[in-house]
Amino acid sequence: MGYLRRLPRFEYLAPHSTAEVCAALAERGNEAQLLAGGTDLLLQMRRREISPRYVVGLKGVAELSGIRPRADGGLAIGSTTTMHSLLSSPVVREKYAVLAEAASGIGGPELRNVATVGGNLAGALPCADLPPALMTLGATVTLQSSSGERTLPVDELFPQFGTTVARPDEVLTTITLPSVPSFSGGAYLKFHDRQSMDMTTVGVSAFVTWDEGSQVFRDIKIALASSAPVPIRARKAEAILRGRAFAEDALDEAALVVCEEADPRTSWRATREFRFDLLKGLTKRAIRRAREQASHTIGDVS
Amino acid sequence: MTLRINGVDHELLAPPWRTLLEVLREHLGLTGAKRSCQEGQCGTCTVLVDGKAINSCLYLAVEAQGKQIQTIEGIAQDGVLDQIQKSFVQKGGIQCGFCTPGFVLATKSLLNTNPDPSEDEIREAIVGHLCRCTGYVQIVEAIQDAASQMTREGGN
Amino acid sequence: MHNLRNEYDVVGRPTPKKDGALKALGSAQYADDLSMPGMLYGKLLRNPHPHARIVRIDVSRAAALPGVRAVITGKDFPGVKYGNMPQTRDYLPLAVDTVRYIGEEVAAVAAVDEDTAEDALDLIEVEYEPLPAVFDPEEAMRPGAPLVHEKAAGNVSAELAFEFGEVDKAFSGAYYVREDRYETQPVKQGMLEPHACIGLWDSTGKISLWSCKMSPYVVWRQLAMGLGVDVGRVRVVQTVVGGGFSGGKQEAMPMDFCAVMLSKKTGRPVKIVHTMDEVLTIGHMRHPMTVWLRTATDKDGRILAQHCKLTANGGAYSSIGGFSMYLAGAMLNIPYRIPNIRYEAKRIYTNNGFCGALRGHTNTQICFARDSQLELIAADLGLDPIEIRHRNALQPGDVTANGFRIGTFAFDECIDRVVQLSGFRNKAGKLPKYRGIGFGCGSHISGARLMGHSASVAQIRVQEDGTIHLTTGSTDVGQGADTVLSMIAAEVLGVGVDDVRFALVDSDSTPVDPGTFGSRVTFFTGNAVKRAAEDARRQIAEIAAARMKVNPDDLVFRNREIINRYDDRQRMSLKEAVRWGAFQTGQMVISHGTYAAGDEKIDFRTGQGNLSPAYNPSACAVEVEVDPETWQVKVVGFWGADDSGFPLNPLAVKGQVIGATVMSFGHALYETLVRIDGQVMNPSFRDYKMPLATDVPKLAEFQHSNVITWEPEGPFGAKEAGQGAGTGVIAALANAIYDATGVRMTSLPMTPERIRSALKQMKEEQRAGTKIVAPAE
Repeated sequence: MGYLRRLPRFEYLAPHSTAEVCAALAERGNEAQLLAGGTDLLLQMRRREISPRYVVGLKGVAELSGIRPRADGGLAIGSTTTMHSLLSSPVVREKYAVLAEAASGIGGPELRNVATVGGNLAGALPCADLPPALMTLGATVTLQSSSGERTLPVDELFPQFGTTVARPDEVLTTITLPSVPSFSGGAYLKFHDRQSMDMTTVGVSAFVTWDEGSQVFRDIKIALASSAPVPIRARKAEAILRGRAFAEDALDEAALVVCEEADPRTSWRATREFRFDLLKGLTKRAIRRAREQASHTIGDVS
Repeated sequence: MTLRINGVDHELLAPPWRTLLEVLREHLGLTGAKRSCQEGQCGTCTVLVDGKAINSCLYLAVEAQGKQIQTIEGIAQDGVLDQIQKSFVQKGGIQCGFCTPGFVLATKSLLNTNPDPSEDEIREAIVGHLCRCTGYVQIVEAIQDAASQMTREGGN
Repeated sequence: MHNLRNEYDVVGRPTPKKDGALKALGSAQYADDLSMPGMLYGKLLRNPHPHARIVRIDVSRAAALPGVRAVITGKDFPGVKYGNMPQTRDYLPLAVDTVRYIGEEVAAVAAVDEDTAEDALDLIEVEYEPLPAVFDPEEAMRPGAPLVHEKAAGNVSAELAFEFGEVDKAFSGAYYVREDRYETQPVKQGMLEPHACIGLWDSTGKISLWSCKMSPYVVWRQLAMGLGVDVGRVRVVQTVVGGGFSGGKQEAMPMDFCAVMLSKKTGRPVKIVHTMDEVLTIGHMRHPMTVWLRTATDKDGRILAQHCKLTANGGAYSSIGGFSMYLAGAMLNIPYRIPNIRYEAKRIYTNNGFCGALRGHTNTQICFARDSQLELIAADLGLDPIEIRHRNALQPGDVTANGFRIGTFAFDECIDRVVQLSGFRNKAGKLPKYRGIGFGCGSHISGARLMGHSASVAQIRVQEDGTIHLTTGSTDVGQGADTVLSMIAAEVLGVGVDDVRFALVDSDSTPVDPGTFGSRVTFFTGNAVKRAAEDARRQIAEIAAARMKVNPDDLVFRNREIINRYDDRQRMSLKEAVRWGAFQTGQMVISHGTYAAGDEKIDFRTGQGNLSPAYNPSACAVEVEVDPETWQVKVVGFWGADDSGFPLNPLAVKGQVIGATVMSFGHALYETLVRIDGQVMNPSFRDYKMPLATDVPKLAEFQHSNVITWEPEGPFGAKEAGQGAGTGVIAALANAIYDATGVRMTSLPMTPERIRSALKQMKEEQRAGTKIVAPAE
């Protein structure tokens, strides 16, 4: 009946390296769940939505955590990096502020001290806040297994509601952010009833690369949370704005197209109509703010 | 498993599906951390793990090994209230008291990293904590008082 | 008014809560913190149907599970119904034939640990025959609707009609008449501590319950009744209460019955603790109401008459709902002068969780309707919204239509103080678009003269070390009763508040008391404590006077000493006097005091009678910012003023009024139980959203002021503080949202989605040129 029960019985495995994680998954993949932060998984287990025979704890795998600059000017984020660590990173705050903005709205300090970047992706919840932000940054994820690894854009991670393309024997190890072009900036806005803690009813991420010379959108990426069965890019809306000057009517048009691309559901939390209303307003606001951020970036920030 | 709690090592036998909250309360008699929403929404189960406030209801006990765990029972020294606790008492920040251990630990975690927080920073630091009794005003005042008393004394 | 504080040593001074240190240390023992040797763990099986007959229950597989020690069903109890009022007892410890709402308890297990108990629930087989169910009161009242209780025709749980004055005449002659409809929602107490208990049925047949009860003696009586035993066999021990706000902590719950019965079957103590989703699923919540209010005024806005028709969705059982219906009608009479009133109320059974009392208890809903409408009346008549309130304000000495005798009532001052603090005149109608300020007023009682037991008694023993041991039957539930009652005793006996020991309630050793509800404790129990302390003082004065060879009337008690007021060289310590009595003269100092607010009778059927010895007015203004694109409401300023008489503990009064205010923010803006076909969709603090620290105004913009009066009937002039303050807040928010957006919200909660819908509807009506009516939602 959905009451929160005690956790079900399971066997706990504590690997110390990514290789050990892969080995454990290779052997037990179908009966195992990866436990990163636990703030989602343990609740699902309490509700008996998932009762894995094995729980593979990732807190002891040091190499999966951490934020490292890449030679190409990008950033590699270990999948078990906590939200708190993400928010504390100066380079994330300066160069990838939209990601920090998305992370800052997730729960409160206690949840952010434990919840991980990878967990927010692997859980495949449509209301997750990081996927849209990562999509607009052009992020990729790396999935590793005993038989090798593959890297794919976050855009391709969610084939349908509630799942990722990760196989049972794969672990998400790294989220990679490309280097940021100059005159770029982003914004992530989510709707919430209270000022804090609320799950996202609708979320919009916008990342703008601005052409200072011609004063037009050189590039723009827009992605949405809780607006479809999976996090989605609003590519048609993006296409409308690329190469276009910043003007109210352009934003209005883009907002309408975002609504055409979105497919939010009606639930007792919010109706579909209301989510569309929110999308219109939040899309314009997010694009406006992203553009402001982009204008302030003078050259490449080190 | 061995858990280091308030500076003391405890060896105990518990299955892996026990949360840190359950082990504290049921195996070790440390009932200061409370059982309430069990979902990470109320903050009454808060403990500090390596100085960071976490919801012990969403943390496996087995994963707390090798870490420094601090509970509300470890805040006062020899029965003498720590400044944060004193401020909560003096400023009316305690009514039914069920949320109090969680708030005190969240405050400790805040003031350890930010000894002179603004009012907004205080509020942001305690959003993971529900209080139905006080309406938060006297809690914020207590935290401000603790911060100012502690900065005057030159730190903890 | 002269500074009363300076006349007293203890009362009137901000005093930290006596058990604050214990709570800050994490050492306070709440029910779930207790453990007893051999204790078992219980769990309750809940029914999944909104309405069903129980055909068969098979517990054999559950009972056979290793670690399970007992399984019980409704048939293990004597079948005696218990409840709050003699005419409406309809609770059973566990359902026997019929279940009437999703979540109702049908069986219970006790096992060696909670995991086993949970697993055992999975093994209990219950065969249900689902019955037609009804969820909406309007549908439930229609002929042919499924009956929730066979004997309740039309699903009417309670029906009341009051009439005072000449209502029809007043309406027909009135200059102006207006009617509006308001809807309120189900809200939960939201305390952080879930219900928890330990039951013990020992080998002598003594039945004990340790639990977080606000009214332990109500539980004591209800347990005895439901178990079919005399109260003398029952012991209820109050544990530290982690928040209550009425509801399940006010009465006996199935968990209490099951804990003791499982203990009987197993011979061991049994602990049962609700999970928070259980707490949010079961009954005990505020009545959702439809309030139709028709008001007549003269051309100056003076209210001539009001007609109120109220339909309350009572849920599946009576609880205290019959009294709730009386109270709503009674509360219509304050804080404004209403010479002619007609009140018609129906409480309707539906297959939802049942409703009862919750902080503010019907007054909150009534004030929302009435103070929202008052602004509309003012606007229609071209009157200032502040002036219309002054014009109608009750004054000290008034007697309301239903017989409330108003003593101290500084309502005008409360209004003026709020206008001044908030800068209302510079803001109302003048703030930028999407920013608004609203005014709201309310009031409350200071305890009630109820049918049945309303008297309080306090006992004092003065020990030879000079400490005062104070026992009452009232409970501290966080509101500060422990401290304020101790302060009263300390003031009378000339000691410090730390010299007073305040006991938790234990029915074996503390005096019987109605408990903590209706804002009665400071007033009723406080008066009893004052009388007990005065008698103790008289006893000690006698001993000291004989010893010092003076007249006892010449003695003053101050600073733990007893001094001859005419020659302060003649003195002895309180402790010395008590020891002298105990060791030398055989005089032990022990006293008691009683208070019952006189023997006035209330006719709860007609509504006539002076319910309370004192009444509190309340006024507030709230400022909001509404986001134009998301319709999210942010409360950015709040200014309130209440007349709580002489605030005995200003620190606690502040905590109570702000707590009540913030609770009302939640009720106004975020909180509702979402129920679809009787299923609660949001039994979680994630989705049942209560205000957080970032949802309230900053300190500089969140102010409360005490308008100080001296209520002669109250102990040291005090009145209630803790419910009245929340009552005007919801209307103030509705009025602020109107000021900010131009849209009138008439149903709660005022969420962004509903504000958006209301704005859309308003625009459509403006376009179509139709009359603006209250939105349907």
